[in-house]
Amino acid sequence: MEMIDRYIYAVTKKLPQNQRQDIADEIRGLIEDMLDERIGNGKTQEKNLEDILLEIGSPRELADKYRDKKKYLIGPELYDSYMIVLKIVLITLGASIGIKFIVETVLDPLSILDYFIDMIISLVTGFPMALGWTTFGFALGEMFGDIREQDILKQTWHPSDLPELPNKKSQIKRCEPIGGIIFYAIALVFFAFSSDFFGVWVFQDGFTGVVPFLNEQTYGMYRLVIILLLGISILKECIKLVIGKWTVKLAVISTILNAISLTIILFLINQADFWNPTFMQDLVASDIVAFGSDAYDVVSKVWDQVTLWLVIILVIGLIWETIDAFLKTRKN
Amino acid sequence: MTDAHEHLEKLMLELRRGTITIAVLSQLFTPQYGYSLVEMLEEKGITIEPGTLYPLLRRLEKQGLLASKWDTEASRPRKYYLLSQTGKEVYGLLVEEWRRIVTSLNDVIETKGVEEHGND
Repeated sequence: MEMIDRYIYAVTKKLPQNQRQDIADEIRGLIEDMLDERIGNGKTQEKNLEDILLEIGSPRELADKYRDKKKYLIGPELYDSYMIVLKIVLITLGASIGIKFIVETVLDPLSILDYFIDMIISLVTGFPMALGWTTFGFALGEMFGDIREQDILKQTWHPSDLPELPNKKSQIKRCEPIGGIIFYAIALVFFAFSSDFFGVWVFQDGFTGVVPFLNEQTYGMYRLVIILLLGISILKECIKLVIGKWTVKLAVISTILNAISLTIILFLINQADFWNPTFMQDLVASDIVAFGSDAYDVVSKVWDQVTLWLVIILVIGLIWETIDAFLKTRKN
Repeated sequence: MTDAHEHLEKLMLELRRGTITIAVLSQLFTPQYGYSLVEMLEEKGITIEPGTLYPLLRRLEKQGLLASKWDTEASRPRKYYLLSQTGKEVYGLLVEEWRRIVTSLNDVIETKGVEEHGND
């Protein structure tokens, strides 16, 4: 009977990992004993099971009793995901700061002491911040994640409210959101600390400089917006990791976040002073392309079109992701 | 009247919560599994919901008052609980305390009756 599995799943997912199997076996035994006792009372087995589950109580109440009503900042349900995200964030942060130090030192070995001090400052300020924000985010999830419609709309719990068992097809592979978080976290650190390297790298007898894509004068202003954008993406991946399967709720959340991202991107790219206004002149000045050559025409055309195409690609990507989310939900 | 019943219900819940442990411990000088315990207590007029008993058994085990063992030979696996040495000692002390409470409470209830009578 699938209802038993769903009930046990709903109870045990709120309990610490090391107790789950034991409690699951015990509850299963209890339900089967109670079912046996009611055989031949004239009701169908489904009806009997429903009565029994109502008698034992809602999964949340039962799980609360097993947990001895202990309150968690981050409970067992979220703990695994929390640890994964925390590891990713801290490792990415540490690695990025280390790599930044190495790159800077290679490019300019004389200032190694300055870069070293910068690195230590970044580590000391960055780690507690990353730890704090990750914990804060998950604590919020713990506080509000448990409020369901049934708490607001109706008081009594019914077995038909039980969540579906995780289905293989709609399940999200863990590596997918983890990969996403790593990617966005690296991008975040990159944009937060050193956008100066976001451009065309010029090598002429060694590294001579970067022709930046973005407008350096206005970048300080836009940096916050870019960080916000990447933060939303990381949040989205974290929610995917926690929910673990495609549900309508997840699809709706992901659609809302995508819509916000889209709005921000459109706003950003349409600012005339977002891109480097002297990009072509800079390229010519660093002897990469000669003014008036075929290459110059090609690069110039690409540069002029880049905004349009970037917008098209991002819009298609986000819309596709939204449609895909709902398709996967339907399979459930 | 219904108001009084509502209060009674809440107070009874608290009263039961405190005493149910004694009832459970008293039945575990022989190994029992959760549901057999529910039935045994029911026969003796003590109703306990499985949803309350099962977590309670686990908690008592964690505190070291009960020992447990899975029996996988029967038609379905069952977890049997039994009083540990500490559990037996604690049970003995609890019963003594309980008797003391009963005596003093009876005393209090009786005396109050007398006073009321005297005031009339």
